[in-house]
Amino acid sequence: MLLVMLPVIPLAGALCVLFKRGRGINIPLLISSVVLILGICGLSSVFGGTPIDHGIPLPGPYAPAFHADSLSVIFVLLAAFLWVIVSIYTPEYMKHEGGSRRFEFYALLILSAVLGIFLAGNLITLLFFFELMTITSFFWVTHRWNQEAIKAGYYYLFFNIIGGLLLGFGIVLLDAATGVLPDIGTGLVTPVNATAFGWSIMLFVVGFGIKAGMVPLHLWLPHAHSAAPAPGSALLSGLLIKVGAYGLIRAGEFAGWGRELGSGVAWLGPALAIIGVITMLVGVAAALLQGDAKRLLAYHSVSQMGYIILGLGIGLYLGSDGSLGLVGAIYHLVNHALFKTALFLGVGVIYIHTKETNLYKLGGLWRRFPVTAFLMLLAVLGITGVPGLNGYASKTLLHHAVSLAAETGTIWSVWAERLFLVVGVGTAASFAKLYYLIFLRKPAKIGNAPNTSSRLEAAPKAAMSVKLRAGMSAARPLVAMSVLAAAMVGIGLVPGLFPSAIASPAVQALGMENAAASLVGLSFWNAGDLTGIFITLILGILICWAGLRSGIFHWHPPKWLTLEGLGMLVGRAVSVLLRMGEKFYRTVIKAVRNVLKNSGARTYLACRKFDQSRSGEIFGLKLVGVSIDAGILFILLALLIAGHVMLNPGFR
Amino acid sequence: MLSLILALSCGMAGGLIVAVIPQTRSRLRNLVVLIFTTAGMIFTWRVALRVFAGENVAIAGRIGELPWSINPDPLGAVFGLIAATLWLFAAVYSFGYMAEKHEQRTYYAFLLISFSVTLGVAFSGNLLVLYLFYELLTFVTYPLVIHERSSEAVKAGAKYILYNLGGASVILVAIIITYGRAGSLDFAGGPILANSLQNGLDWLLLLFIIGFGVKAAIMPLHRWLPAAMAAPTPVSALLHAVAVVYAGVYGVLRVVYSVFGHELVGRLGFGTILPFVAACTIIVGVIIAAKQDVLKRRLAYQTISHLSYILLGAFTLQPWGLAGAMLHMISYSTLKTTLFFCAGIIAEQSGATKISKMGGVGWLLPKTMAVFSIAAIGMIGILPLNTFWGKYYLMKGSVAAGMWPLALVLIVSGIINAICFIPVVVNAFRGERTRINGERGSRVTLMLAPAILLVIVALLMGLFPGFVWPGVQAVVNWFF
Repeated sequence: MLLVMLPVIPLAGALCVLFKRGRGINIPLLISSVVLILGICGLSSVFGGTPIDHGIPLPGPYAPAFHADSLSVIFVLLAAFLWVIVSIYTPEYMKHEGGSRRFEFYALLILSAVLGIFLAGNLITLLFFFELMTITSFFWVTHRWNQEAIKAGYYYLFFNIIGGLLLGFGIVLLDAATGVLPDIGTGLVTPVNATAFGWSIMLFVVGFGIKAGMVPLHLWLPHAHSAAPAPGSALLSGLLIKVGAYGLIRAGEFAGWGRELGSGVAWLGPALAIIGVITMLVGVAAALLQGDAKRLLAYHSVSQMGYIILGLGIGLYLGSDGSLGLVGAIYHLVNHALFKTALFLGVGVIYIHTKETNLYKLGGLWRRFPVTAFLMLLAVLGITGVPGLNGYASKTLLHHAVSLAAETGTIWSVWAERLFLVVGVGTAASFAKLYYLIFLRKPAKIGNAPNTSSRLEAAPKAAMSVKLRAGMSAARPLVAMSVLAAAMVGIGLVPGLFPSAIASPAVQALGMENAAASLVGLSFWNAGDLTGIFITLILGILICWAGLRSGIFHWHPPKWLTLEGLGMLVGRAVSVLLRMGEKFYRTVIKAVRNVLKNSGARTYLACRKFDQSRSGEIFGLKLVGVSIDAGILFILLALLIAGHVMLNPGFR
Repeated sequence: MLSLILALSCGMAGGLIVAVIPQTRSRLRNLVVLIFTTAGMIFTWRVALRVFAGENVAIAGRIGELPWSINPDPLGAVFGLIAATLWLFAAVYSFGYMAEKHEQRTYYAFLLISFSVTLGVAFSGNLLVLYLFYELLTFVTYPLVIHERSSEAVKAGAKYILYNLGGASVILVAIIITYGRAGSLDFAGGPILANSLQNGLDWLLLLFIIGFGVKAAIMPLHRWLPAAMAAPTPVSALLHAVAVVYAGVYGVLRVVYSVFGHELVGRLGFGTILPFVAACTIIVGVIIAAKQDVLKRRLAYQTISHLSYILLGAFTLQPWGLAGAMLHMISYSTLKTTLFFCAGIIAEQSGATKISKMGGVGWLLPKTMAVFSIAAIGMIGILPLNTFWGKYYLMKGSVAAGMWPLALVLIVSGIINAICFIPVVVNAFRGERTRINGERGSRVTLMLAPAILLVIVALLMGLFPGFVWPGVQAVVNWFF
């Protein structure tokens, strides 16, 4: 029953937002807190190993079903937690953006959809909430409703609708391959038709990959995540793309975690790993070239999703030895949710006061926003993987998994290990750039009025003054970010807790029996990893320095080099082809019509001539006073009679 | 049996009564129309529920040599239900739409008469009766098509008559051949031609498909449909998105499943050609739709495309495909009618019939555009709307028939449908934001209420497909 209630509560909340008058209580905060508390109290029992199931028996082809195992509970709690944080942050931000009620309404609908996805017990239920999420989050992306936002909205909607349709096809194929559609959480599927099964898994990978921002299906992501208002971007980047990763894990469950992949899906592990590496590289390379803070962060979402996909791929590839990959992926997913949300919220705080997200127009802001600068520093260090913060822990796990895979000696896994380090350097460089340009360098000219400045920072100090309430509300964004920062530091200081206590039961439930065992001997504080990360950071800062000096970060790659440009070129080519086809079709139709018209006119003329001719001549016979057609008729009649008489002798 | 006769005669009787009510007594006329469509709907429901329960409801007799029979089976009952239910919605919409229009008496009289004729097509028990009602449907809807009396409407009417009579004459030839071959035209005892010799039957099937394909708007035979958009919007919504075109689709289904039987069609080697034809219509229709600027024409071309979804499902010759066809038939009718209703409201309240002129219409008519956008999402065929289920089972049927490219065709068509409609919705909410509310007054309410109700029905059907499942199951069990 609880499983049904969790997605329904936010729906009720959305109705409340719809009918609420004035500025009362913060309904999203209330609702998401309720969800979080209910989730912790009601669902934590699944870590003991018994999943909760709840089906709604309906007649007909579809009965909704809900299922909570440890994997889904991790996601549910993560979602609820992030929603609480962002709901604390939202009111203050939306005061500057406008349309706060609309935003809250969709926030609750999206929360409902997200919870539904994570708690879905069968694929159709999952698809239902998936489409609901696509449609509702479109309104976040287009919140500003200007040219740019609408363009981003189109990108977002079309990519995700295609993803949803492909998922639908994948479900159909899975059904055809197995005979009975398997429920979520039932584990390994033994297909009747291995080829169809392979294709269905492929479609799942593409469908969820679009959501996860997998290269080359990521094109919508930077647009959508930078066009949304900051709390929206934070959740889009922090949580909504994780839905894709969740789907991939579930797809992997059908293929079989911790087993030799069967025929039809043997490609899955290496393919995911290779796509993951490419995603990491493309994301980080594009991020280095961005001049807009939110776009930079959005491209980093692509890149960090690459880490997660790589972890999943290695987990599948190594079979029963791959638990490190899967644990690392889940761990990194949680960590990325924390620091990416914090980063977007931080950029949002800057945006509220400067109305600017272009890095090259910002600068020297650490004086005006010391607290924000400090919290952002923690998040930046987290994402670059500095020891003592959460990013380090999960990246170390993933790195161990990649090294393990590289020991098998296949070319792609060896290269994956090398490129893993390169991406680490790139991440460090681009975040050094972000932080330097926003906070550290000498202040640039900022086109905002000074009187509104640092109200945010000054407010807590003026807490005793008349502006107590205003000050409290102004401090809310910082409270939200501090909670995130505390979580990051907490995970970073005790890096072994999450994998052993939470992730490994989930992974074991998915089928990796030796997950706990593989974590036993693992130390996060070994010299190799520490020096590695140290070198990475130094290199990253050097590259950032070199890049800023040489101006290479301003380089705009030519159109044919970017995927988007390529896509546009292809699109243009297709449209030209279509136009040519249409032109050809039209000429053909015109020609046919002309021929028909001409022949019609000619026949008509001939008939007329025929009709008008009195006393004509046929075969030398002069028929006076009889028109020629009548003559022909007579002759035909005569011939018919003659023929009939000749052919039927009896008639005579 | 009594309810069958009553269901069939309600429309006819109502039409005759309306015809004698003076032109000026519009309230009385509306009341009569409302009573008779409601009664017709109720009786149709009664008949249909009894048919689904497995009872035999039939009337039969002879005219000289030729036997006639009215004998609804599940397929006919589904079609009848769709038509009868939507007729009520369209009638209510007409009260609003036609309120200030001329010649209301003719309009309502023929609207009611064509109700009877459509039910006649649905409930016919043999090919001859089907043919008679099918032909009659062309004639009784002709006055509705030329209702505007503009030169465009008259031209469209000529095209309408020409195409549909041409198709019907082909059907007549085919029926005569069938009677010669099998000696019977009754649907009740299984496929008519099941035991006949195979030679030459492929040509006969082709004749039938061409004949019924005119009303079903299979691609080279579709040109009457966009032209017929000159009719008043409720007529476009009801007849040219549902009743008349479904009569064609219903005819094709009858031919495939009742005249030939799916096994024979498969044996004749049509199992791949026919789905291919349907797939071509789906894709080409929707591409042409995306290029239209007049909203009603865009909807018309999209109708052409979606009718072939149903045919595609039927042509897979698979139980799942047929189930998909039935589901799509039901769900598509609700949403397409809604889209037309909205197009009518937009045209009446803002004067915009072209999509390029619709910038900012959303601010004027927010509820209408909201309904429109939900229905548009339904056209793509994704959940929470009911069209997903049609699409799902169509894909399932295609895969089960071993033709997975057909499923891809459905997906591609879904994407192009999105391209067709999402920009329309987005553009409607751009531009100047007006404070004028275009949705005041009882006239708009009468037009808007059916649209909103239909969308709610569609959403409920999307959430609980079990709702329509008994009917679908009955059809599938009947033929397989």
